[in-house]
Amino acid sequence: MAIDPIFSDAVIFASLLSLLSIGLTLTYLTTRVPNFAHASFATIGVYMALVATHIWGVTPYASIPVAFVVSGLVAVSLYVFILKPLIRKGASQAILMIATLAFDLILIAGLNIFADFVVQTFRIASREFTLRSYDAELAGLPMIVFVAPAAIAVLSLTLYIVLKKTKFGIAMRAATENRDLSETVGINVNRIYVVSWMLGGGLAGVAGSLMALWFQGDPNLGPLMIPSIFAASIAGGFLSIYGAIAGGLLLGLTEVLGTRFLAGEFGSWLIAYRPLIPLVFIVATLMLAPRGMAGINWSGLGRRMRRHGSGE
Amino acid sequence: MVLENEAIFLVDLLAIFAVYLIVNLSLNMEFGYTGIPNFGKVLAVGAGAFVAASVPGRIFAAMAGVEGDYVLDNLAIVSQVNAWLVDNTGIGFAVFFLTLGIAAAVGGGLGILTSYPAIRMRGDYLAITLLAFGESIRIIGNNFTPLVGGTLGVQLPDPLSFLPDEIRFSVATLGLVLIAAAVFVFSEKMIRSPLGRLLRAVRDNEVAAESLGKDTARIRMKVIMISAALAAVGGALYAFYVGGAIAFAYDRASWTFWPFLMILIGGLANNKGVLFGTLIFVTVRKLIIFFKDSFEGLVPFDIIWLDFLLLGVILLVILQYRPQGLVVEKPTATVGGGTGRAGKSRGGAGRRLFNLLFR
Repeated sequence: MAIDPIFSDAVIFASLLSLLSIGLTLTYLTTRVPNFAHASFATIGVYMALVATHIWGVTPYASIPVAFVVSGLVAVSLYVFILKPLIRKGASQAILMIATLAFDLILIAGLNIFADFVVQTFRIASREFTLRSYDAELAGLPMIVFVAPAAIAVLSLTLYIVLKKTKFGIAMRAATENRDLSETVGINVNRIYVVSWMLGGGLAGVAGSLMALWFQGDPNLGPLMIPSIFAASIAGGFLSIYGAIAGGLLLGLTEVLGTRFLAGEFGSWLIAYRPLIPLVFIVATLMLAPRGMAGINWSGLGRRMRRHGSGE
Repeated sequence: MVLENEAIFLVDLLAIFAVYLIVNLSLNMEFGYTGIPNFGKVLAVGAGAFVAASVPGRIFAAMAGVEGDYVLDNLAIVSQVNAWLVDNTGIGFAVFFLTLGIAAAVGGGLGILTSYPAIRMRGDYLAITLLAFGESIRIIGNNFTPLVGGTLGVQLPDPLSFLPDEIRFSVATLGLVLIAAAVFVFSEKMIRSPLGRLLRAVRDNEVAAESLGKDTARIRMKVIMISAALAAVGGALYAFYVGGAIAFAYDRASWTFWPFLMILIGGLANNKGVLFGTLIFVTVRKLIIFFKDSFEGLVPFDIIWLDFLLLGVILLVILQYRPQGLVVEKPTATVGGGTGRAGKSRGGAGRRLFNLLFR
């Protein structure tokens, strides 16, 4: 059975984009700061996969827990040491955004230094590398084609159960809805925020270590991915985790399959302009449904259309 | 007279300072005075540079009757055009200023277009949209070859070709400094006008401004347009000064992040602060690049990343401990009026020392 690799590409990219959007939304829900360093958390995961494969000599999948912890801790340190003190001093949202941009610059510099270090010490390619050949095979396809969507499925189920059924999840929802009220009923809001940042950064790290199995790894991936992640999150409404999943899947599939379709229609020169699709997405979302897919009244829309149909 | 090393260093420093001063003044107008977080500053700067890279060369080539594909035969065409410009100085200057005008128009237009979808949204949505558009300029420049020759870049003709080599850079720098000074005066006049007070009203209390019948979204868009036009002029001047343009030079760090760093060092909403911030930053960076070679080999990685690391840390430290910058915003005098003395009195000894030194 021969499957066009473009579909593998679309499935993997869409799944990973969802994973990244969930993480971004989780951190945005707590501090209401769009974190521009989010994509570089994923780049950390990419390098964890490189280290696992070439230096520890294990399967790239073994890097997932390590990437979760490292990226999560980096995200927590951004929140605890930089954003929290600024918020306490009453910094505006714009200043907080600049702080995340500065943090991103530091991360990119750190990743580049690390990449140079890896090349010099271990003599392995650390820029524009790929780990595709280290992936296992399943039913004639690379394993990542199944792992990436499975990760999303498992994660959305887990998040649903945690947020709806556990005491911690309910406290977390309360803390993001109304900080002051949650504090008066005895919820440790600060701890919940720290956990959210750990989760958000950690998920980005996981996405990164999976990404290394299919896409090219490079220290400067962050700036390339940021528009896609933000477009997916905005399309999802930015305040809804399920919206983020839907936005990530929709944008991911559109980016890969849409580019392929347009290239087939108008010629392959169009492929290079794929990074402009997230921009179109952002503009379309803001003009048509500024609160994203989560803000559209779907049942109302259906009723209206039915009424419209029967009325004519 | 051949310029000494130190003199070349100084002249180049002044030129880069002038270009960044223009960009930073425009950013200060947006962010400092109006509170628009424009994280896509690079878009306007890049657009201006791309205009300078693609328009004047073709005009000159057509006028001088030089044949050939402008991008493929770029080097040959530009050297022929430069030879032709030696005898056609007047046309050279006319096209130079025309290019600046086109750059301003393109920059302003892009400013309106890219901010339109999010201009009525909360600040973070506007910031994300502008940042995403800012990332697009490199993609277009890299792939649409007629603009700046794709990944190879193009050379620019030099309207100052008639000057001997020894003084050309000094004259170009002088021109840049004069234009930057004009932008400084324009910006000062603008913020001391009723429009300038309106900008601060939009920044500090949008609801109050709207209750007085001001259309805040329209005002924000107007500011973005004006400052994008100025930044595009800065970008075009930079391209003329370095004599070439290549897409990857217009990245977020150089033309969005560093301008933010400079205006935050100097102090927001304060053109004098922008002047100091830019001077300090440009000098420090120039020194780092100057002494870069002496560090080579001491560390096992490219020294440029240490520079990024350092600048990121400096910005975070400023945000934490000196968010108001070196020069604190004070009530501005109206055009022709006196300074209001009842300003906020933040800062202690440092500020008194500063007053002592600079006022």
